[in-house]
Amino acid sequence: MLKLFAKAQRIIAMGFATIAINSLAEEQTSVQVHGFIAQGVNKSQGSDFVNDNQGKSAELTEIGFNISYQMNSDLRLAAQAVYLNAGNRLAEGARIDYALLDWSLLQMPEDQLNVYLGRYKNYHWLYSSTRDVPMTRPSIVLPQAIYFDGFRDISVGGDGIAISYKKNHANWGDFDFNLSYGTSNISDKQAEIILSELAKGRMSHDLDYQASIFWQPQSSPWRFGIAALDSEFTYKQGREDNFLDAKIILQRYLLNARYEGEVWEFSGELMQERFLLDGFYSEDFQRDNFGQGFFIQSRYSFNENTRLLARVERFYANKDDRRGSQLAERSGGRVPEFFGFQHDAVLGMSLRLAEHLELQLEHHWFEGTARLTPVVVPNTEINNDKYWQLWAAQLMYWF
Amino acid sequence: MVNASVEHVKLSKLELRRIFSKRITRWPDGQPIVVFVLASSSPTHQRFSKEILKIFPYQLDRIWNKMIFSGLGSAPIVVKDLESLLAEVKNTPGAIGYGENVAVQGGLHLVEIIR
Repeated sequence: MLKLFAKAQRIIAMGFATIAINSLAEEQTSVQVHGFIAQGVNKSQGSDFVNDNQGKSAELTEIGFNISYQMNSDLRLAAQAVYLNAGNRLAEGARIDYALLDWSLLQMPEDQLNVYLGRYKNYHWLYSSTRDVPMTRPSIVLPQAIYFDGFRDISVGGDGIAISYKKNHANWGDFDFNLSYGTSNISDKQAEIILSELAKGRMSHDLDYQASIFWQPQSSPWRFGIAALDSEFTYKQGREDNFLDAKIILQRYLLNARYEGEVWEFSGELMQERFLLDGFYSEDFQRDNFGQGFFIQSRYSFNENTRLLARVERFYANKDDRRGSQLAERSGGRVPEFFGFQHDAVLGMSLRLAEHLELQLEHHWFEGTARLTPVVVPNTEINNDKYWQLWAAQLMYWF
Repeated sequence: MVNASVEHVKLSKLELRRIFSKRITRWPDGQPIVVFVLASSSPTHQRFSKEILKIFPYQLDRIWNKMIFSGLGSAPIVVKDLESLLAEVKNTPGAIGYGENVAVQGGLHLVEIIR
């Protein structure tokens, strides 16, 4: 897989090098350059979601720049680099968001088949492919039940192959079938976010299969989707490590629906995930949990430039222990019950200030701490409040 | 309106919606479709999306933004005014666009919207 990725990267680099030789007239339609820049302020009170000292923070920066080059009628190269800073939510820094060769195998009025080679995005959930692109999101902080920032670097995409098949049916409407296989590189910071800062070993992503289907009935404001994910990770014990070798399995099933009307929008996603941890604490340790979560939200277009948002969200880390009592009991009282769930209620607003300039504002009321990081060894010292709040404001520009 | 190179000039609203939302990317003869539009805030664009394509402009913006910022595909080319849109459609093989009271002229065909 790594070889395949290296090869795709070489092809992409060579492709971009040839752009310069093309004529100006062709360039206008074959080369597209776009980007975005966003800066915000946020504060989490009663948790370490944003930072450890719980003060106001400007750690809410998202910058991206992308280029797409149509080499010929069947082949296209595309790449995007991003810089992200979101405090404790994810590893700060620049990364290649996607870098792929898009091969159109079939382009008929009723059927389109594309194969993407290289680093692709997660095209399977409602917001997964553009979770870091501020103006494409309904809110600055996405529902953590599904878009858990602690897993951001792993669930945002992968290095490998993605396949997209679009069926435009004359009577039944539009169908999208997506498949992907690839893995992502797990940085030490990402491992620390998932496991604990005490974990000195290396975590690797061994496999990741994902599939999804979306269906929009003919001329309908509704669209429905279904998705599944199967992934495996290993943890290799480090030097003077407190933890042992481990295997982690993460599997997910997801349903989503979306309604887009002239002034009202409704959408929601429903998810069940299996989190299996084998080893880590002791050789015979095994934890096999099924977590569940969902969100439903509505957006109302107050006028041409103002959209209001209301959302409720529920997440249970273990569907057989919804109140977290077994979790508290197993830890001998060290981990409070409220680490077993995390619910959120959100009110937000998006203000369009100019064609490509928008301000987003939102307030979250949380109950529970199950989606705070680190996940495997929770930080019970800072996160000692069952109820906590978050507000965020972000100004975004794109072209 | 479409560039004179396009022979397929009778299109349904459904076909047009699929072309502008980039679900159809080639003409039946295999020629790639190049889509030109005005900014989404322009009244002509808003009327064209709602009345002809039967889709709200914000929905088109979302589809295009997803393509642009996730690497899935390339978006329509946005031009500054109706005059430029007409010129681009005339000069670009395979192009499609829209206008207000466009007269029959060289370099383009007017599209007949069929049921």
